[in-house]
Amino acid sequence: MGTAAAIALIAAVAMFDSRAAWSPVRGTAPGDVGASWYPFWTAAVMGLAAVGVAYRALVLPQPKAGVFASRASVVAVLNLVLPMFLYALSFQWLGFYLATGLYMGFFAAYLGRYRFYWIIASAVITPLAIFLLFEVGFRLLLPKSIFYPGIPF
Amino acid sequence: MEVFGLLAGGFATALQPINIAFLFVGVTLGLVIGVLPGLGGTSGVAILLPISVVIARGDIAGADTTTAVILLAGIYWGALFGGVITSILFNIPGEPWSVVLLFDGFPLAKRKGKPGLALTSSFLASFVGAFIATVLFTLFAKEIADRALAFGPPELFAVFVLSFATLVGLGAESPLKALAMLAMGLLLAAIGFDTITGSQRLIPFAGSEFEPLRNIQINLLAGVGFVPVTIGLFGIGEILASAEEQGIGYMEKISAKLGFKDLLEALGALRKRWFLVVSNSLIGFLFGVLPGHGATAASFLGYGLARQYAKNKEDFGKGEISGIMGPQATADAAGVASLVPMVTLGVPGSPTSAVIMAGLFVWGLQPGPLLFTEHSTFVWGLIASIYLGHFLTFILCLLAVPLLASIMRVPYAIITPFIVVISIIGSYSLNNSMLDVAFTVIFGLVGYWLRKMKYPLAPLVVALVLGDSTERELRKTLIAGAGNPAFFFSSTLSTVVMILAAIVLILPLVGAVRGRLRRAGVAADDTD
Repeated sequence: MGTAAAIALIAAVAMFDSRAAWSPVRGTAPGDVGASWYPFWTAAVMGLAAVGVAYRALVLPQPKAGVFASRASVVAVLNLVLPMFLYALSFQWLGFYLATGLYMGFFAAYLGRYRFYWIIASAVITPLAIFLLFEVGFRLLLPKSIFYPGIPF
Repeated sequence: MEVFGLLAGGFATALQPINIAFLFVGVTLGLVIGVLPGLGGTSGVAILLPISVVIARGDIAGADTTTAVILLAGIYWGALFGGVITSILFNIPGEPWSVVLLFDGFPLAKRKGKPGLALTSSFLASFVGAFIATVLFTLFAKEIADRALAFGPPELFAVFVLSFATLVGLGAESPLKALAMLAMGLLLAAIGFDTITGSQRLIPFAGSEFEPLRNIQINLLAGVGFVPVTIGLFGIGEILASAEEQGIGYMEKISAKLGFKDLLEALGALRKRWFLVVSNSLIGFLFGVLPGHGATAASFLGYGLARQYAKNKEDFGKGEISGIMGPQATADAAGVASLVPMVTLGVPGSPTSAVIMAGLFVWGLQPGPLLFTEHSTFVWGLIASIYLGHFLTFILCLLAVPLLASIMRVPYAIITPFIVVISIIGSYSLNNSMLDVAFTVIFGLVGYWLRKMKYPLAPLVVALVLGDSTERELRKTLIAGAGNPAFFFSSTLSTVVMILAAIVLILPLVGAVRGRLRRAGVAADDTD
């Protein structure tokens, strides 16, 4: 129900943004419907389908179980989502290699609860493997940290 | 006869050492991805897509676009086989298309104590199904492509409408949800510059003076890339879904080593069931050619058919070999067939082929009938590699089952963040864009949530890939017809395809109404 409402809202915003579909001056050639016609009607179909889904959710009996099976499952997802967000955000300051080392090390320590040498191995081997694969093998340069070139990554 | 000459040329391309090397890499990665329950074939192909770009542009000596497609297709073939191992040995489906093997594969392995026979029967049926489908691909692909060359905008638009209609009408659990996802994909594809008029569309923060928002706006003008979105939806989305299940899942394990005796026993089982395997392979091919389906739906269809026509229906669910061979042959045949509409018409037959097709676009190739004339080496190299890929996968599976099963022992705290890292780097490296990284993370969450809410992701991805072409053909048709919608039905072919699309779309509605009437009838009888 909530998901359908969100989809309907996105559709409404897209339809508003494409309201030029109703403008009498449209495409560049006779018969062309113009740039806004297609997104307007696509959004309209999306909105109608979402309203239909919401209507069915209201009318038909729904299972009483919650969205998540248990608190543990919420924690399991958050354990992955929050570090992933921080990891993606930190690229612009830490660069790929430092961020990846910290990210891998964090997982090994927090979720794996490994001994310190395994944590260090995970934090060093992964960025090193990525460096060898991407920068050396495929010649793809990945962003470096704000400490570069003071430190080489 | 011309076909065999072209196929021989294809083998000459596919057998080049660099192509064989990447086929081996692709198949091995596919097997690993197939074995890992948190990662699917589509995600695997999506994550490796940026690397394929580097290969396709010739940065590696001897490699080209054929090498790139061989790598991606190899992942698909490997994943088609690899999912079987976890289903049969661990009672956990490694892939959506191997869910059906839980019914008879695991019971045969555990209750009857024959894991080797269960695995070998499954690999053998997969190989036969894929081989039959590849032969049909070889014989008919050029024929279809030659006919498709005569397609104009109305016919192409009709084909796109048919592929969307099959996504919504056939197989979808909720046609309304599928329709919403399809429209969302088309809408995402419309973001950015309109290719005909050059005007901006659906750009948020337009006119903002705030620097970061302006940067986002400028990047969005080029449109939403389907690669970062697909990596997010399938790669990150699946990882999050599997993270949720980690605490819930219970894992049973059976160890297995395959011997020559198992192979002989499986060959004997195949000889007894050759009609089932061949007929299911043919049905799988026909089903897979329909755009939007692929191996998962085909595997269930194959199981249903195997059970329907079996004399010993009561043995199904207890380790019956027909319940393994039937669905496996259908699934693999459908997996191969899903590449047929992609190569011949430019319409992907499954989510995985949609991602491979996205690769073709990124490498500068236009999927569709012209591929056969303009990039003949590429197409026939791909077709030849399907034969080689399945042979290689079959041999690897027979040799490396204990090794592949041991992948399941790589700790969660290592494998999960590693997949996230590879997904994010893959998404960044395509355009060196942090916005693509943001798209991957955001669509990872969106994909996870939509999956949880039982919204199908395949229509979204297929529509995102085909969105630009669909709009272009729609508007070209309208311009050609001076705005008259009747021009969509200007040829017999476009009219027939449109009618077919309408039938496919209406079918589930008719089914739902009939079901409701039947239920109402039962309720009325109960009241009486």
